[in-house]
Amino acid sequence: MDAFSKLPEEINHLVSEFSSMPVVGGLGAGLTQYSVWLLVAAIVFAAIMLVFIKRQTLVPRGVFVNGVEYLIEYVQDDVAKGVVGTEWRRHFPFLATIFLFILVNNFIGLIPGCKPGTGAIGCTAALALVTFIYFVYFGCKKHGVIGYIKSLAPAGVMFPMNVFVWVIEVFSLLLRPITLAIRLFCNMFAGHIVMGSFSIMATLFAEPLLEHFSAMNALGALPSLAWLAILLIIYAVELIVAFVQAYVFTVLAAVYIQIAEAEGH
Amino acid sequence: MKLLNRAAGAAVPVACALMATPVPAFAEGSAGGPAILIPNMAEFIPALIAFLIIWVVLAKVAWPKVLTMMDERSRRIADSLEEAERTKQKAIDDRHASDELVADARRQAAEIVLAARQDAEHERARIIAAAHTEAEEIISKARANAEDERRSLYAEAAGTIADLSVSVASKIVEKTLDEDGEQRRLIERYIKEVGSLNAD
Repeated sequence: MDAFSKLPEEINHLVSEFSSMPVVGGLGAGLTQYSVWLLVAAIVFAAIMLVFIKRQTLVPRGVFVNGVEYLIEYVQDDVAKGVVGTEWRRHFPFLATIFLFILVNNFIGLIPGCKPGTGAIGCTAALALVTFIYFVYFGCKKHGVIGYIKSLAPAGVMFPMNVFVWVIEVFSLLLRPITLAIRLFCNMFAGHIVMGSFSIMATLFAEPLLEHFSAMNALGALPSLAWLAILLIIYAVELIVAFVQAYVFTVLAAVYIQIAEAEGH
Repeated sequence: MKLLNRAAGAAVPVACALMATPVPAFAEGSAGGPAILIPNMAEFIPALIAFLIIWVVLAKVAWPKVLTMMDERSRRIADSLEEAERTKQKAIDDRHASDELVADARRQAAEIVLAARQDAEHERARIIAAAHTEAEEIISKARANAEDERRSLYAEAAGTIADLSVSVASKIVEKTLDEDGEQRRLIERYIKEVGSLNAD
């Protein structure tokens, strides 16, 4: 029961630890712990790509090269070709970069002691903003500015309904980067909070046993095993979530690009 | 107009971006609650710069090379499959041709064997016929010789019998009969008649 009484305080402490803290400078201009891990992930990603390019051969050999190729082919076939369509080659660099960038960030965040760059809204907002500018730019490039703005309203709707639909579509368009950013951030942030909570619970219940070995303390520490088992299950789920969130972000980016370049609604 | 359109094309996403860009004032001093949904510039700017740099560098250096390699691989695989299909088809055709050759060779061999058998049969028949003819000739010659021999033996025996008869008769009548006389001719005619009866 003592462990449960300590729990709210520990959870509050955990959440405060997940809040952005400046490592260099301040929150306005500087680097937070998430920025640092994002930069680490960026360096790791660049290193992975550098090694991959050097090792890539006509006949791929080794787990590393085959693994990276599998991911790249996944983006190429399922996202770029599958969603964007015939123009996939033009958008492949952007889609592959954003997918692998998010994926590396998510997986680095799953290493104990590290934090995901995507676990801060500032980082996901930057990615969402780049995506937003990207698909709006290609929409304008394809249809012209006026044509793109007009294309937001579905064809075939009578006046004045088309004006209302157009306004709704404009709001929907402006909400896209926000939903992209918040979805990725919340999934990563919440997942890490849940994992942190269960690890705290496992520690709190085992703490008396670690301090003083007795039969009562050993009995009281039994729930720790359950919390630990749940933690491992959640960790496994988070591994999937890390991949799924990168995929969802990239697929949505591809869908927005496809919609922006589509001939007419 | 086109220029204006292009300028506007660049301006629209930037304007949208400005609307979506986080306001530093909102983010200052955020520690929890709804404030966690307000981006911090200390995270937004480094993430933006890092992603843009990586995107540009990879788009220029990595992705074209990766795609070229994958396209080349796909092309080689397609070519290899096509080549394998052609080789397979050629092997099937060659197999058919060789099967036909083997069948033809077998047919020719059978024909040759059949012809050889027929020739051998003809030769055997010819040899047998020749042997029969030769055997018949030998037999007829042998018969003729035997006949001649028999006749000469008869003649010799008749002479001997005649001489013996004359001698016996001479002793009986104690008178020498004229050996080349009338008695001898009678005896010889008698023996000839007896011989002709035997020959019949």
